[in-house]
Amino acid sequence: MTTTSDQLHRPRDGVSDPILEVKNAKVTYDGGETYVLDNVTFSIERNEILGVVGESGSGKSMLASALLDAIPAPGHLSGEVLYHPDQNTTVDVLEFTDSELMEYRWAEVSMVFQGAMSSFNPTMKVGAHFKDTLKAHNRVVPEGLDFARELLSDLYLDPERVLDSYPHELSGGMQQRALIALSLLLEPEVLVMDEPTAALDLLMQRSILLLLEEIKEKYDVTMVFITHDLPLVASLADRMAVMYAFELVEAGPRDQIIGDSGHPYTRALLNSTPNIDAPLEDMQPIPGKSPAPVNVPAGCSYADRCPLATDTCRQDDPVFEDIGDGHIVACHHWQQATEEIELTFNQDEGGESVEGELR
Amino acid sequence: MSRLENRGPNSVTDEPLISVEDVKVHFEKERSLFEMFSEPDVVKAVDGVSVDIGENDVLALVGESGCGKTTLGKTIIGLQKPSAGTISYRGRDIWETKAGNTDLSFADIRSSLQIIHQDPGSSLNPNRRIVETLSEPIRLTHPAITAGERRARIHSLLERVGMTPARDFASRYPHQLSGGEKQRVALARALLMNPDVILADEAISALDVSLRVEMMDLMLDLQEEFNTSFVFISHDLSNARYFAEHGDGRVGVMYLGNLVEVGPPEQLITDPQHPYTEVLRWATPNLALDATNASEPPMRKIDIPDPVNPPSGCRFHTRCPKAREACTQLQPELREVSDSHQVACFRSDPDHEYWESSELED
Repeated sequence: MTTTSDQLHRPRDGVSDPILEVKNAKVTYDGGETYVLDNVTFSIERNEILGVVGESGSGKSMLASALLDAIPAPGHLSGEVLYHPDQNTTVDVLEFTDSELMEYRWAEVSMVFQGAMSSFNPTMKVGAHFKDTLKAHNRVVPEGLDFARELLSDLYLDPERVLDSYPHELSGGMQQRALIALSLLLEPEVLVMDEPTAALDLLMQRSILLLLEEIKEKYDVTMVFITHDLPLVASLADRMAVMYAFELVEAGPRDQIIGDSGHPYTRALLNSTPNIDAPLEDMQPIPGKSPAPVNVPAGCSYADRCPLATDTCRQDDPVFEDIGDGHIVACHHWQQATEEIELTFNQDEGGESVEGELR
Repeated sequence: MSRLENRGPNSVTDEPLISVEDVKVHFEKERSLFEMFSEPDVVKAVDGVSVDIGENDVLALVGESGCGKTTLGKTIIGLQKPSAGTISYRGRDIWETKAGNTDLSFADIRSSLQIIHQDPGSSLNPNRRIVETLSEPIRLTHPAITAGERRARIHSLLERVGMTPARDFASRYPHQLSGGEKQRVALARALLMNPDVILADEAISALDVSLRVEMMDLMLDLQEEFNTSFVFISHDLSNARYFAEHGDGRVGVMYLGNLVEVGPPEQLITDPQHPYTEVLRWATPNLALDATNASEPPMRKIDIPDPVNPPSGCRFHTRCPKAREACTQLQPELREVSDSHQVACFRSDPDHEYWESSELED
């Protein structure tokens, strides 16, 4: 992944009008010894929902923070993060002054963090969070609050009740939805969500996903949804990116990633997921563990766990290959993977039985 | 409320291991000085549940947050005293035993019924090495066992739950273990007592998706080896199905303190009888491509009603897309629809007045 000029990069992942571009992003600790994000390059199409999937410790939260130049100290972010407010303008996020960065965060790109319960100040009413945000960004408070009410009702909440409640008076699902409304308060172009539905039950997760889709249509926001839960985000995303051991290993349209994934890791991840329609005996865990940030192996970082690994994999880090329709894979043996690692969930039968049962 | 049949070829005796009869657990909200004389707010966490658990059995409880599944689980293993109803262990009432009124000692019951908590990080003492955490229960229950034997027992059990080399893992502190490894230690701790029942309360929810199947497989292996029954609590229907199907058990769906459907996993998932089970079915992610696109949820409201003032009649009627006038009046009881498959919905009775009453308007 050394050549990243626009001409080479853009058409490869099928993104034609990127709103955000990340190039060779690296996050290092210990003066460059420890990588928690290793040379990640990708872009986000305007008005799409991008799902980023990875296990705990794969660097996906770092990726989210990198988009806002918000890597916690003493981590150091290098590379480029380019923001395109419109098609012809390009700004470098890492070159921003403090005041520019303050306006960029929340008003241009805003973020929903994991665990709504710890995002709100427990001693302040929810409404006060909305007012503070408006004041800090020099907005007119009454108008802003009107918009907040609209957002809250879009999320099926009772605006007056929520604004006048302390966080602990709301259920987890309501807090999480109030937090999403808060993140949209300044009408950002991009909403980055890091595990926004973790710690909620499945029913609330699915309901929030539906609401996000409606919000996206109504307010034209681009969304980045980061999670470890592949099946969850698969129901929402237009495009998906898979991370393994601090690197991006595969990206492409949702249907290709689910139905025709090229990376052995993605295929193993799909097969390890308890799936309601898959034959039970076919679900298999992934053997081995992912590498620690200090000793990421040379060559492909998945080689130790990969059933297809050869000497080439252990020596040379695979570069991204375009395998069609904006579907890119970093694997030496992607063709072999699609042929030899079978996906266990049966797509045709599965889908039909769901439809049939719910009618 | 009708009694649940004990199912499966594994139940060796006619007498169930654990028998829960019409159990209610009600919590009163604290009252301030001014409210001393008013009626207290009561949360009916569990409101009239009967269920049997046999030897080597699996009962997977599913439902939303706040539906009472954890409270029911804790009541089943005798950690929560019910406000009404009885729980018996091998025919003896657990709480009567605790009071000293039966021929069994409560300590025996206590060590036969174990729990694995949801968060493996906070269920292990961070200041203790794994070997110390695991030694404590043996020291308490078997004071005569020597330190050497204790260590041998712990090492063999750690190996059994897949933590090799056991010697190395035993000397670690919890923060030196990954989430999956911590949960294995919690499982080993529960198994130390040779329990009859283990309550796994969302035991895999905090693990990465890719580790969940592995952990469930491990618990199922041990179920056979140690002849242990599991009460498996999850909000994820696909995990509950996996666990219950492999463990030859049942799935129980809970809604606001009631069991609304109980049955064999495949039957319950392919042919759900209760509209709420269909909602859970909808909420379960599916990788099949034509099913991945979000469809409208089969319910009328997103939020669960306030458990302090649960709806009258069938508690699901405020969200149920199929609710009619009749549902607001009476609460349906569990009734058999086919072999060991029970549902609490008027729709399962073709002659019920439900079919004559008018549909609900929001």
